[in-house]
Amino acid sequence: MASTKADSQPQTIDLNSLPMAQLNNVKNQLTQELQHLTTSFSQLKQAQAKFRDCGNSVRDGLQKGEGTPILVPLTPSLYVPGKLASTETVLVDIGTGFYVEKTPPAAQDFYSRKVEELGRNLQDLEKIVQGKQGNLNVVEDILRQKVIGESSKGGGEGTT
Amino acid sequence: MAEDQQKLQSLSDAYQKLQQDLQTSVSARQKLESQQQENKGVQKEFSLLPPESNIYKLVGPVLLKQERSEAVMAVEGRLEFIEKEIRRIEKQIQDMQSESENKKMEVYQLQTQMRPVEQ
Repeated sequence: MASTKADSQPQTIDLNSLPMAQLNNVKNQLTQELQHLTTSFSQLKQAQAKFRDCGNSVRDGLQKGEGTPILVPLTPSLYVPGKLASTETVLVDIGTGFYVEKTPPAAQDFYSRKVEELGRNLQDLEKIVQGKQGNLNVVEDILRQKVIGESSKGGGEGTT
Repeated sequence: MAEDQQKLQSLSDAYQKLQQDLQTSVSARQKLESQQQENKGVQKEFSLLPPESNIYKLVGPVLLKQERSEAVMAVEGRLEFIEKEIRRIEKQIQDMQSESENKKMEVYQLQTQMRPVEQ
């Protein structure tokens, strides 16, 4: 991953001058990176949605106060009835196994902060993805031109 | 020529092995990065917490109440450890990269050497 960066960043290489095989390598590399980044992007999006859900649950779920009848999931498909015992504080997972007791507004604040943070990361990542996509397009263009040039010039005399 | 062939084989094997090792190190580096991020998030959260909040730590299936100072220290210790690990792995990666670059060159040279023989 980093080795191609070292190859292509310090000195600018005219992509037109590269042989097809190398161009293909560059293309594959870029496709791989792009794929990795898009997966990260969707994972981030999912995480953001989860945080948003948590925030909404804290807001809506605790509104009615103590004694509200609820269904508690024992497994994702099995629920038992229960009652909200306390709406004073909630326990929030802040990562790496630590949980903190928070008041509902503080928990909401925590979740909205997380959502915001992830939103910023998503924006940054989107820019990177766009840049990579642009690079990939350029490489693919040149590759296509080369293929066309090759076939019109050599006829059957392909070296591949 | 058969000798060269064999040499090329062992060289490219070594190169591939190196690439694999590099891959593992890179994933380890990525994992450390995400752990670092998570711990940093926790640290930041601790600093924003009102002083009287209760902090619990998940130990197995149980939540244990923890002193704030203890929790803060634990996270700090982890961050320190992760930083050290990152530095170590970075160095490893760098070494491996230069080594694999060398191997690549060797393979390349051997290949160009062998080409005239093949034709």
